[in-house]
Amino acid sequence: MKVRIRRFDGQKAWWQDYEVDAKPSDTVLDILNRIREKHDHTLAFRQSCQMGSCGSCGMVINGLPALACQTRISELKTESIRLEPLYNYKVIKDLVVDLTDFVNKHRSVKPWMIRKNPQELEEAPMEFKVTPDQNLTFVQFDYCIMCGLCLAACPTVAIDPLFLGPQALAQAYRYIADPRDEGFEERIEILDDSHGVWRCHFAGACSYVCPKGVDPAKAIQYLKKEVLKYRLLHKKKASVKPAELIQKPPPANAPKPPPFDFKIEGGE
Amino acid sequence: MEKEKEEKRYKSGLLRSLRPYKFNLERYTYTLHRITGVILILYLIAHVFEIYHLALGPVAWQQTMALLSSLGIWEKIGLWIIAGSALYHGANGLRLILNEAFGMLLGKPVLPEYPYTPTSLSRNQKIAIYTIVVIVVALWIWAGIYLLWGLGII
Amino acid sequence: MPSKYSLLKESWNMILMYALALIMIFVLTFHLLLVSPLTGKTFDQVLTYSYVLHNLTYYRIVFGLLLYAAVIHGLNGLRVVLIEWLHVKRFQWIINMIIVMLMAFLLALGTYTLIAI
Repeated sequence: MKVRIRRFDGQKAWWQDYEVDAKPSDTVLDILNRIREKHDHTLAFRQSCQMGSCGSCGMVINGLPALACQTRISELKTESIRLEPLYNYKVIKDLVVDLTDFVNKHRSVKPWMIRKNPQELEEAPMEFKVTPDQNLTFVQFDYCIMCGLCLAACPTVAIDPLFLGPQALAQAYRYIADPRDEGFEERIEILDDSHGVWRCHFAGACSYVCPKGVDPAKAIQYLKKEVLKYRLLHKKKASVKPAELIQKPPPANAPKPPPFDFKIEGGE
Repeated sequence: MEKEKEEKRYKSGLLRSLRPYKFNLERYTYTLHRITGVILILYLIAHVFEIYHLALGPVAWQQTMALLSSLGIWEKIGLWIIAGSALYHGANGLRLILNEAFGMLLGKPVLPEYPYTPTSLSRNQKIAIYTIVVIVVALWIWAGIYLLWGLGII
Repeated sequence: MPSKYSLLKESWNMILMYALALIMIFVLTFHLLLVSPLTGKTFDQVLTYSYVLHNLTYYRIVFGLLLYAAVIHGLNGLRVVLIEWLHVKRFQWIINMIIVMLMAFLLALGTYTLIAI
């Protein structure tokens, strides 16, 4: 199997070819590990879990951003493999890219639960309630592993590095759709910027390359709908009031449940 | 010089953003939408100037028309491309309004299950895009026949 | 003034884009039908002085609507392309100013044409 890798050592960039033994069941990450073990110890790439849940090994495989650990050689159906670092990022070395901007964008949309009264969280007698139906409205966007493939695929990020990007916008929608969250207005002011949500023109490439089925494009279109509703009709995404949110503990005079019987029927 | 190269983002830029090769159908529609939009605004600026000559009287109008017909067949081909741009930009823009402002054709949020087919790019979206392509191509051919018929070719 | 009502937000821009786009779908269709084979004329015949003048004066309001919708929608779209492409915050004011000036010029020229004929 012929593997062509784009190398970069901080000074110059070049293409390097390797000839590697490979089985059809090997993943691209197996091939990379084999190259590092047997052919070239200087090759740099990120990896951790090898099972598609850490999002470290994102790279461009034959022109399409993908996770190396989840791409089998037999799926590629090509004689040779061409590996490049992710598009639209600064390259540190070989296949390792600088994710600083990416993480900062994620942080800028406040990806955490915002309550107007933070005391609620400490004084709550029981946990915050989310019904299965409510959960289904945002849980898909919660599966993001922050691999950064969507920003490599996005055509707007390619020309506009200030654009927040599909990952951050999808996470913003995940928290806006959450009934426990009250930070809607706070986030809208960040998102409704000249490099915010409206720079998405629905090319859909982010959803196409997403390895976890998060579908960021869908989240962003729903986010646009929420922003329009807010600006035109002053309608906020409904968040749950503290009284509804917290399951009440049973009253003191409630009948106690019968003690559990350890006796097994048919036993001794 | 070496330092600057390191700071540049890998393979980004205008051409890369307009290059949908290997990606999904929606990214092709994005590229076309953007290119047709730029064609149309450049034409609009010229068109406002062209119509302005109407206010200067019949002689000025005749001169403008003579200037345009001196381009020969390229005038008709240019107008044909502009007509196609307008048809595509309008039809695809309508789909984008449905998507973005009304959240239609996207599917509801679901639990992701392997092989993770995104619902926003699945059946409804594809049907909409192919409908647009069929309608636009049909109308574009009609416009082409009309433009060239005036030229006396067909 | 609360930011909720701020007209400088990007979403008002897009609301304008969507509204003008929906208007243009009807008005531009009408405009294209006036120069289409359905008029029963060849393409060179629809560009004669008398025919164009008759259309513009008879449907003056429709063409005025089309002019304003098309110029604002189109130049706003060009502005979006430019601020994405040049993406330096310092340039944004310059781009906005150029676009506004171009818009004012084209609208003035078009309005003058529609009034003068």
